[in-house]
Amino acid sequence: MSLLEIENVTRRFGGLVAVDGVTTRVEAGELVGLIGPNGAGKTTLFNLISGFTPLSAGAVRFKGEPIQGLKPHRIAARGMSRTFQNLRVFPNMSVFDNVSVGAVGAMGQSAFAAVFGRRARADAISARTWEALERVGLGGVAEDLAANLSYGKRKYLEIARALAMKPELLILDEPAAGLNDSETADLARFIRSLNGEGLSIMLVEHDMNLVMGICSRVVVLASGRKIADAEPAAVRADPAVLEAYLGVDE
Amino acid sequence: MSEFVRGRLVPLLVLLVVFALVPYGLAKFGKGYFFQVAQLVLIYALLAVSLHLVTGAAGLLHLGHAAFYGVGAYVAALLGTEMKLGFLWGLPAAGLAAAALAFVVALPTMRLVSIYFAVATLAIGQMIHTVLLNWVAVTKGPNGVMLFSGITLFGTPVKSPIAIYFLVAGLVALSIWVLHRLSHSYYGNALRSLREDDQCADAMGVDTVRLKIEVFTVSAFFAGIAGALWAYTTGYVSPGDFGFNTSILVLAMIVVGGLGSLPGAIIGAALLILLPEVLRGVGDLRNVMVGIVMFVSILFLPRGLLGEVSALSLVRRGFGLKWGAAPSDREVGWR
Repeated sequence: MSLLEIENVTRRFGGLVAVDGVTTRVEAGELVGLIGPNGAGKTTLFNLISGFTPLSAGAVRFKGEPIQGLKPHRIAARGMSRTFQNLRVFPNMSVFDNVSVGAVGAMGQSAFAAVFGRRARADAISARTWEALERVGLGGVAEDLAANLSYGKRKYLEIARALAMKPELLILDEPAAGLNDSETADLARFIRSLNGEGLSIMLVEHDMNLVMGICSRVVVLASGRKIADAEPAAVRADPAVLEAYLGVDE
Repeated sequence: MSEFVRGRLVPLLVLLVVFALVPYGLAKFGKGYFFQVAQLVLIYALLAVSLHLVTGAAGLLHLGHAAFYGVGAYVAALLGTEMKLGFLWGLPAAGLAAAALAFVVALPTMRLVSIYFAVATLAIGQMIHTVLLNWVAVTKGPNGVMLFSGITLFGTPVKSPIAIYFLVAGLVALSIWVLHRLSHSYYGNALRSLREDDQCADAMGVDTVRLKIEVFTVSAFFAGIAGALWAYTTGYVSPGDFGFNTSILVLAMIVVGGLGSLPGAIIGAALLILLPEVLRGVGDLRNVMVGIVMFVSILFLPRGLLGEVSALSLVRRGFGLKWGAAPSDREVGWR
């Protein structure tokens, strides 16, 4: 049983078929890249997996159980957390509070517990928040307002917030967008080290080099269809992929 | 030392003023009028803090808060006059009735977003106000309800103005403490995440719809409590006190005080209740003056007196919710 199984997933927007019968999987501990030209349906596929967009057809199973049709927070609670393509940190909250939302989302704190609760739960939430903050190296700016962080640090903040949920599968939507080369290289190392700790990761990326450099398997989408699903070297040599990216040689 | 000053001294001073200085002044110089003003400040502080939870923290623009205040006041007054049920029954009944109504109303409206939610709450506020005004058989319509029985605790009538003041101040302080715990906790952080980006909060595992319904209901409960306190202290409720104007007044309080800030809501309430009283000297111009103060404060302090950030760090330190520099330090985050 794979951690995540995507079976014949399809999404139509009116006449447009954004994702067309895609079947793939993520094994536990794997680092899978999802690439494709603009408009290939990468982000739509992520939204279908994480419950933000309902499926038109097909099935998604997580840890063997079907998750299509579940609300995003229910899917998140099962151990899948995601980041967004356009940075979506909570700007008017501190860095610590941002990350704590991930922890409280996963662990829960009822209104009653917030008022009368013992300290144990709150301490556990804050410990988990610190752990995630330290993991991404933002412990020193915990008290700063998220809006005041640099663009690069906000990327890590978003990842920390997802890590605070202690997910089994982390879905990263274009984490390197807007970063320069050295920042991208740092991020690549970081993603790899997360994977090295046993976290399964699925990564959408525009940046071919990043994906080819760190992923163990690469899925290529073009016009909503899967055109390749193999190791980086094989994908790089695949004529269908070259055609999708570079066009046909006349 | 400064940790101590901000951490324990400020709240202590506030409690000292509310429970010692003000009552002392009232007992010494107070006529009935001053007692009324002091109680009005307390009641509106509770209203503003309960709205803070929905609008300031969770970011839902609520334009009908006064209606739940009114429901609480009417339930307390009608239970007293029609069923001879006293304070100890009327007070919780008022809160629960307002909360129950809010819960029913919240089920459909919480699926609306931003401005549509605001319009829905505006409509609900107007509907409840219209019912209070026109359901003459029950609410006595525009004449309002006179509640002569006053407050009786365990068979003992609470008659002296100073005792009533202490009772109101105690209940308001207790209610605000509960709202403070909700607002300044990880639960409160989840609420703030709704304000910032509720779709993103959803992806973090936060059940956004449920949380919104919960917070709307809790807020209405305390608005109902405030309404009951108003009914018992003034002895008279009429629909005019619970209209759109009151909703906007409470909203203005939390905006002037600083959206998202609980201490700000209290300061805003005190300011907008006391200012018109202080300005009585200038006669008819006083409402214009109040308007100018609000206008200027929005113009120069768009984040209010205590914006979210400064307010948050104030509360964090102010209530012993310390930050630790290192993860090894266990004294971090909310308690």
